Amino acid sequence: MATDCDVHPVPRVFVYKMADGQSQHVSSGFGQTLDSVTLERARRGDMAAFAVIYERFGTACYNLALRVLGERAAAEDIVQEVFLKMFGSVRGFHGDAPFGAWLKRMTANATIDALRLHQRFRDDDVDALFESMPASGADAESRADAWSLLMRLPPRARAVVVLHEVEGYTHKEMADLFGQTESYSKSILARALKRLNDAALAPSSEEALHDE
Amino acid sequence: MNDIRFHDAASGIDLRQLPVFKPDSALWPRMVAAQQRRTRVQRWRRGSFSLAAAAAVCAAVVLLPHPLPPLQQEIAAGQRESQTLESQWLQLANSTRPGATGLARVRVIDDALQAAYDRGAQADELAPLWRQRNQALRGLIARVQDTDPNDALAVTRI
Repeated sequence: MATDCDVHPVPRVFVYKMADGQSQHVSSGFGQTLDSVTLERARRGDMAAFAVIYERFGTACYNLALRVLGERAAAEDIVQEVFLKMFGSVRGFHGDAPFGAWLKRMTANATIDALRLHQRFRDDDVDALFESMPASGADAESRADAWSLLMRLPPRARAVVVLHEVEGYTHKEMADLFGQTESYSKSILARALKRLNDAALAPSSEEALHDE
Repeated sequence: MNDIRFHDAASGIDLRQLPVFKPDSALWPRMVAAQQRRTRVQRWRRGSFSLAAAAAVCAAVVLLPHPLPPLQQEIAAGQRESQTLESQWLQLANSTRPGATGLARVRVIDDALQAAYDRGAQADELAPLWRQRNQALRGLIARVQDTDPNDALAVTRI
């Protein structure tokens, strides 16, 4: 599982010195920019340029996949798949959208495909999706831990929550991604967030005993 | 529902505070190795494809029948027709005894054809000669079939 990985605080904004000599403030994760020099080198198949891209976006790819799939090995497979695909397709990237957004879409697609492949995505019934999930009432440790609460969601609900709440996908974009209606992701999101909220706010059994 | 994010609403969990995990440090070297393997396979496939394509082109050049240009086709057809007409004429000549002089016109054309072939004449010169030869043969055959065999001599005069 992912818990044996290094954890570091999320950098919100930092100054990034680009290869073309310019410096600019950029956000973290997929929001970072890629300078034209590195992009052009990558288009020519320069592995050093790909290394720069990996250093900048690899962690964001990994975390998107890990948050949805919940398994370290599966997330690494996604990163490898996405980057190998990017190596071959970066020549076709014309900069119509930011590079990070392009890579994020590739990562989200690969992650959802992996969910489908492992048949974690089989059930279209939203009620059935949440039936297997334990009701709220997590212990004190997991209640305080957003990661643990997220991992308590079914994979498909986790995908909706992560893509919408963390990665900024709209319901329209998710409808395209999942091949479902917007109502579908809205319904899953509402149910999932209620479960998360209930779990986060519910008193633990220990606290409940103490209160008595 | 609009697209308001969960952490904007009052709640007990802020998903922006999810921990950020770093991938295994061995992942990048694994990816580089995979990419190098893929590049090698692609090169090998490209090389194999090029060889196969070159072999296919060679085979096509050697084995496939080549379509003739229109004039060449006309000459070939003229030669075939000439053979047929000549056989037909010989059969008639044997039965009606029109005499050797009946082929004089054809022989003149044959000489012209031979001379043309000898100097490497082009198709646009050869095709009309074959047409003339066949026309002469058809005329001979028609005469023999319609009239007395000795009238065929008139057609053979140049």
